[in-house]
Parts: sequence; C-alpha cells; structure tokens
Amino acid sequence: MTNWIDRNIKWVFTMPAVIFVALMMVMPVGYTFWLSFHDWNMSNVTPPLWVAFENYKVLFHDELFLKSLKLMFYFTIASVAIETVLGVGLAILMNQNIVGKGIVKTLFLLPMVATPVAVGLIWVLIYEPNIGIANVFLQKLGLPGQEWLTSQNLVMPSLIFIDVWEWTPMIALIVLAGLVSLPKDPYEAAMIDGANTWQSFSKITLPLLKPTLYSAILLRMIDALKTFDIIYATTQGGPGTSSQTINIYGYVLGFQYFKIGQASALLMVFFVIVLSISIFTILLRKRAGVNL
Amino acid sequence: MKKSFVGFKKAAGYLALAVGISSSLVGCSSGTNTSSGSGSTGKTEKKVEEIRVVAANHPWTESIKALLPEFEKETGIKVKVDSYFEDQLTQKTAVEFASNSKNIDVVMFRPLQDGKMFHKSGYFADMTDYVGKEKGYTDDFIPSSLGSVKDGEKVFGLPLVTETEVLYYRKDLLEKAGIEVPKTLEELEAAAKKLNDPAHGVSGFVARGKRAAAVTQFSSFLYGFGGDFMKDGKSAITAPEAIEAFNYYGNLLNKYGPKGTLNMSWPEAMAVFTQGKAAFYTDASSLFTNATDASKSTVADKVGFAPFPAGPNGTKPYVVTSWALGIGANSEKKDAAWKFIKWVESKEMVAKLQAEGNPGARISVWNSPEGTAKFPKDLAAAIAENGKSGTPYDRPVVINVGNARDTIGDVILAAIEGKDVKAAAEKADGEFQKILDSEK
Amino acid sequence: MSGKKPKKLSAALTHVGVYFALFLFLLPFLWMVLASFKTQVQILNTSKIFEITANFNNYISIFKEYSFLQFIWNSFVVGIGATIFGLILGLPAAYAIAKYKQQGLGLLILVARIVPGISFLIPWFIIFSKLHLIDTYTSLILSHMLVTMPFIIWVMIPFFEGLPHELEESARVDGCSIPSAFVRVMLPISGPGIVTSSILAFIFSWNNFMFSLILAGDNTKTLPIAVFNFISYSDINWGGLMAASVTITAPVLLLALFAQRYIIAGLTGGSVKG
Repeated sequence: MTNWIDRNIKWVFTMPAVIFVALMMVMPVGYTFWLSFHDWNMSNVTPPLWVAFENYKVLFHDELFLKSLKLMFYFTIASVAIETVLGVGLAILMNQNIVGKGIVKTLFLLPMVATPVAVGLIWVLIYEPNIGIANVFLQKLGLPGQEWLTSQNLVMPSLIFIDVWEWTPMIALIVLAGLVSLPKDPYEAAMIDGANTWQSFSKITLPLLKPTLYSAILLRMIDALKTFDIIYATTQGGPGTSSQTINIYGYVLGFQYFKIGQASALLMVFFVIVLSISIFTILLRKRAGVNL
Repeated sequence: MKKSFVGFKKAAGYLALAVGISSSLVGCSSGTNTSSGSGSTGKTEKKVEEIRVVAANHPWTESIKALLPEFEKETGIKVKVDSYFEDQLTQKTAVEFASNSKNIDVVMFRPLQDGKMFHKSGYFADMTDYVGKEKGYTDDFIPSSLGSVKDGEKVFGLPLVTETEVLYYRKDLLEKAGIEVPKTLEELEAAAKKLNDPAHGVSGFVARGKRAAAVTQFSSFLYGFGGDFMKDGKSAITAPEAIEAFNYYGNLLNKYGPKGTLNMSWPEAMAVFTQGKAAFYTDASSLFTNATDASKSTVADKVGFAPFPAGPNGTKPYVVTSWALGIGANSEKKDAAWKFIKWVESKEMVAKLQAEGNPGARISVWNSPEGTAKFPKDLAAAIAENGKSGTPYDRPVVINVGNARDTIGDVILAAIEGKDVKAAAEKADGEFQKILDSEK
Repeated sequence: MSGKKPKKLSAALTHVGVYFALFLFLLPFLWMVLASFKTQVQILNTSKIFEITANFNNYISIFKEYSFLQFIWNSFVVGIGATIFGLILGLPAAYAIAKYKQQGLGLLILVARIVPGISFLIPWFIIFSKLHLIDTYTSLILSHMLVTMPFIIWVMIPFFEGLPHELEESARVDGCSIPSAFVRVMLPISGPGIVTSSILAFIFSWNNFMFSLILAGDNTKTLPIAVFNFISYSDINWGGLMAASVTITAPVLLLALFAQRYIIAGLTGGSVKG
C-alpha cells in the first residue's frame, strides 16, 4: 500500500484537487457549452431545443453584445493602464526611506481587501449627485456638479476610477517588492557613467522590472475582465446599457431574460476571450524569461 | 441558530472524514490504516409540517411576518418566509423552479412581470381545484385583478397587492405659490415649471428614470396621450401619440427633474421626494407609506395625493395587481400551502393588512369604511377615481417582460437625455417587434 | 541611496506625495465610517459634512432588526470551511506539481482561477438542487473552494519550489512514506506560505458575492448578500447601508492590518519570484 502510494505520489497528491476541479468546473463549463447550442428559457415544460449555431449567429449580430465587448475592453485596458502607471510611480516613491513605511504599506492594502459589494455602495454614496461628497467637493472649487454614475458619458470613467482606487495599491506593492529585490550594481555603474535619474529608470529599472510587471498586469487583467461585483452593486449596467460589460450582459441574458441558450453562448465566447488573453500573456511572459 | 449548528456539525463531520483519510496515509514506517469518523448526517426528522414562502422585500411581507404565530397556532403548520429584493426574487425563484426543486411551497410573484413566463414554464401548481372547492370564492376579488392570474379558466395565483399610479405632491409648496392641484398633464407641466427651483434644491418633478423601472410609471402617461405599447400584436411605440408621450415624460424630467434620474428606480425617486427635494412625484399608490411615515419622510405632513392627471386622451392610468401568491408546481405540501394562502387572502386578513397600508384586491374590503380608514383621504379618493377608467396593465403584456421593458426603457432614457426620441423609438420598435414575433 | 543636503527637499516631497496618496486612498473608508454614525437627515445635509453626533442607532438596527449576527456567522463558517478544505486538497497538489514539474496540471489550476465564475451558476444550481444542497453550508463551501483552492495552489507552487528537497529525502531515509514526510517535515517548514495563502483565501471567500447570490438561502445567506439585500423595499437608508458596509469590511480590514506581512507576501510572492 505505502509503496504503491509512494510510487504514484504524483497522482495521489494531485488527483483529489484535479477531480474536484473537474467536477466543479469542467463539468459545468461542458454543460454550458451544451446549452449554448440549445434554445431554452428555463421552462420545466419545454426542454432545451437543439438549434445548432443559431445562438452564436444571433450573438454576433447583437449590437448590445458587441457594445458590451467594447465596454469590457475599454474598462480593462483603461483601468490596468492607469493602475500600472500610477502603481509604478507610487512604488518608486515608497521605495525611498519613508517614515512609518510598514504602516503605510499596510494601509494601502485596505482598498483591495475590502468587500467589493461594500466598496460599490460606498462609492454610490460618494458619487450621489445630490448629496455625495464628490459634488460637494466640486462645488467648493466652484465647478458644476456632475452626475457621475448616472450619466451615460461619465459612468465608465467613474467606474474605472473606482477600479483604479481599488487596485493601484496592488500593482504598487508588487512593483515595490520587485524594486527591493533588484541588484544594486547596475545603478552604481550608471552613476559613474553620469546617467540621470530618468535614464537609470528607463534603462535599468524598467527592463529589470519587466517580469514583475508582466505578472502584475496579467493578474490584474484577468480580474478586470471579470469585474462583476462592483458594477452590479453600483449601476447594474446602467444608465441604459452604458456600463453593461459582457459579464453583466451575460447575467442579464441568463437571469433576467432567461435566454439560457444565448447566455450560454455568450459565456462561452467570454470564456474563450479570457482564456486566450491569459495564454497570450503567459507566453509573452515566458519569452521575457519568467516561468510560472 | 439551531439549523446552522446542525450544518456546522455536518461540516465538522466531513472535516473528520477528510482528516481521517489523510491520516491513514501519514503513518511512518508502518502501514496501519485506521479510518475514522463517518460524516454524521444531522437531519432531524420533521414532525411538524413546515412550508416555505418565498416573498419579496415588501411592506406586505413585513406585516405578514408579525401575524404568522396566529396561523401557526390555528393550523399547526409552521411557516418559513424567505424574502428577497424584487429582481433577485424573480431570478432566485426561476432558477429554483427550473431545477425542479421541491422547496418552494408558496411563492409571491408579479403577475404582469413573471406571471406569464412562470406559468408557461410550468412553475406554478394549478389552483383551480382549490379555488373551485370554495363556493363563490373568487366573486369578491376585483375581476381585472383576478384576470391577471388566470389562463383561460385555469387559476394559477391569487391577487395580493393592487396599485395604481397617483400624483404625489407637496401641499405647502403649491399653497405658497398659489397653484391648484394639476388635473391635466398640461397643468402638471406648467406647475412643475413654476415650482422648479434648483437654486434652493427643489425640483419641479421627479419620477423613475431607470431603464426598465421607468416603463411601468411611464405607462399611464402613454395611455393618457392615447398610445399603447402594442396594438393587435404589433409594436405601437413609434405611433405619433407614443412619441408625444415619450417626449413629454422625458422633457419633464430633463427640464424640471433632479440630477441623476437615469439611475432612479422608485427607492431613489421616493427618497428625493421624501427629502423635500421635489414638488411633484408620480408613482404607485402602494408606496404611499414611505411618504407619509414621519420616520422615513421629512415631508410626512405635507404630502398630498391626487388622481393621475388627464392627458389629451383622458385619464387611463394603470390599475394593476402588482403582487400575487401562487403554489410551487413541485411542492409536496400543496394542501398546507393552500391553507396558508386561504388564510392570508381571507376577508379578515386582507382587511387587517389593508388597514396597515397594503392595498389588496377584495371588493368588500375596499367598499367597507375600515378598508380605507388608514389611507389619507385624498389618496383613497384618488385610487377610487383612477379605478373608474384604469388600464389593467402597466407594461407590455408579453412573456419576456424583462427584455421588452429594457427595450422600451431605452427610448425613455433617450427622451430624458434630450436625444432624438423618434430615432430611439424606431430602433426599439424593431427589437420589440422581434420579441413579439418570437412569442407567436 | 538617498543623498545628503540637496536631497532633503526631495525626501520631504516624497513624504508629502506618499502620505497624500495614502490619504486619498483611505478617504472613502473615512467617509463610510463617518456616514455610518450619521442620521439620515445629517447625511442629506451637505452643508455640514463633518458634523457627527456619535450615534449607534444604525448599528443597533442592523443587528437587532436584520440579524446581522447570523450572517456574520454564516460568512465565517463558509470562509473557514472553504479555506480548510482548500488547504487539504491544495497543499498536496501544489507540492506534487512543484516537485514533479507537472506544468499541465498547473495550467489547469490556473484556468480555474481565470474562468469567469458566472459560467458555473446555472449548472451548479441545477446539480446542487438535485442533491438537495441549496441553502446548505456544503454547497457554499464547495463553490467557494473553487476560489480558495486554485489560489492556494497558485501561491504554494513557487513556495514549495523554493524549499530544499534534501529535507524530504532525509525523512525518507528514516523510513517515512512520501505522504508522511510531506506532513511531518515539509508542512511544518511551510508555515509562512500556508498562513499567507489561507488568509487571502479566507478573504476571497468572505468577499464572494456571485456564488452566494445563487446558492445561499435564508439560513446560509452570507454578508455580501445581506448587505445588498439591505437596499430593500423602503427608501434608501444610507446610514444603515454604511453601517452594514462597515460591519462587512471591518473583519477583513482588521485581518489585513494584523497579517499585512503575509498578505503582501501572498499577493506579490508568486509574481516577483522568477
């Protein structure tokens, strides 16, 4: 018995986890895949009806789907880009000798560990056009109040702002950890060569940070693509469909319109997008010389 | 807490099991296998019959919870109430029904929103026999109300809460400005314009502007202008009357409304009104306690109610059954469920609940003086007046109401934003027609 | 690195920058706490935003009228359950993946972290209700494990890779089987990694909204759902909402404050290494 276990330890140790993932993830995704070729509105009377690729065809002609796709990329790219720039900046600042650095680092953790639903509600109050502090602040500066989350033009920037608030610290902390572990010699050599701060940053720091940055961006991107809680708790995709990202649209199709087949098709497309972006980034990271 | 303790014990059992399995692998040098701890299944046998009622977060639910001990004493049936916010309720019940779950005995639903779809999907038990056994049982229910929970002669629910769209207004503001209570939409617009005072934080008018939520409250305006959502199975939202109605509603909110109307369902709009930040507000009558309860409203003693103002085509406000009760198709305790429904729908109970501010669907209760005793006088009068020429639906009568409401809501949104209503309506028209065609 | 006199100004500026940024990031929390002590009337009055009269009514009402204690308990049971079982399945798997370089499996686990959770909701509900597991801790723990376990594995693989294998070898020489060497020798020296991954796994479970939305019922409703439900059939009670938000975030914030070292290690460890 013991011998058998030892010989097959690779599998004995991994199988429980693999079986669990298979049961809880692969099977449901398989079922969703199956449903995506059927027409079903959750009825107990009429079972799912085979419609082949109809759901996909409808999906790619659905304006709202294409819009939600755009919004998802807009949200993800804008958020992650801003977070990366701000995060690197913040990390460089924090890499100096700061009084109370430990406490500062700890407090920066708070936005990202706070429960997203609660975070959403806090921001709803902050952005509230009539009583929110955002407009109180603008009016103190003599600027006109905005409608933030309730304006079709401002809703996406407002949501991106929340995401930036929530996640910039994470990028900053990851980059900070990377900065701390950088070797000192290249900088000394650069100093001798008379390089200025910007030159040593762009020529030494950035290239050395590349692997760390890739990892941080990958992590953030996966989560940004999937953002659900914050949007659901603040706008539920509104006003109109101005903040209806693909995740929210999938939820609406599935659980509000009960178009299960079409929702499943959308989820499969979503799944493929997220997966391919992830794989692409991992490959990129590999080429940059990092492994998992 | 008891139930959660049982669950916890169960979890602990699994833990013991898991640890047991792993400990059998862990022993050094020797191969002793001691398996231990089988998961204790802590299911207690139920002797007392218990039914599960899935309900909305609604004043009715709050009222009924307090009265449950009476029912339990009377029948020995225990009642467990799960309540959810309305959209979540639809999702939760649909998903649960769709998986053939037996756990829903009584369900509270919106006949005009979910009724058709739930019925068609076989989620409801047929109540025809239960209702039929009681002689003349349905005679006392408002016929149009009853109509919304029937499919031909089949009864799949009983109406619970009825409502109609009324005009909420601020007596003090109107008096100060010397304005009469508007009787027509034209007068309403003029009055809203006059009372609109953003510099002092008071808007002339507030109403729902959030996509789907706005559609029901917009409906009375639409009917008043002579429009409708559909005519003879065809979308009618591009008809000139409809366009006019969209423009009127959007214009009112755009010019005289508060900031942020696009995300307002009734809680947000009601909040604006009860904080004293709007002069007029149109919404469902059944929400009135929010405005007249001094613990929730800063203008509790200054609220007036009026019938829905007449449009060019007269007054045709919606008068609908907003909530009803049904029995789950797979429930194993249908008899107990019916006992519960019979109890809450009894004349005495409806009278009692209505006295607490939950407008019901029983004619005799409305006709009795106690039935409206606790309602503000002008509200009772407004409800009665609306009832004379009401329209029995407040949203398109289709199966996929959710989708249709969102589609039409887009036009309302465009109107509020001052965009091209005609173009928006034409776009929505196509989509709405698609929904109608798919349901043929 | 930092120089002498001319650098003094820049050091001061750095401090100002960092602390100002920190202030901005903490402002929303400050605002939440402030509002949770205000009455509705005070919240609506925007002319005196910093006026508070330490008023605990909002807290009293959420605990008394809305049984938040029960929801807190539910969240704890689910969070702790999902973390413990996530560890039981995840630790050996991470160890084997690290030791035998089973990158295929590593990728599978990564996929579990990537897949949008919404794709599971419909199938899960159907399966769990067939098994009569809706509104039980079991279904919630199982679903949350799909969040905790992949995360634990993800954090632990690089951690195990960094451990010296000689230790296991010497335990094997003493006659231990691989599993027992793992439990007796490797796990004890993996303390920091386990603490890191468990804390974060617990936080992720605690914060999870989507799975509980569909799988929880009245008995097992977790805090995020309870807070969201608070926007109920009455007007918007901002004070209560903020008190509820404080209640739900306080435990994770406290956990973060006390275990910050581990959390930073967990969030950054996997990505910095390599």
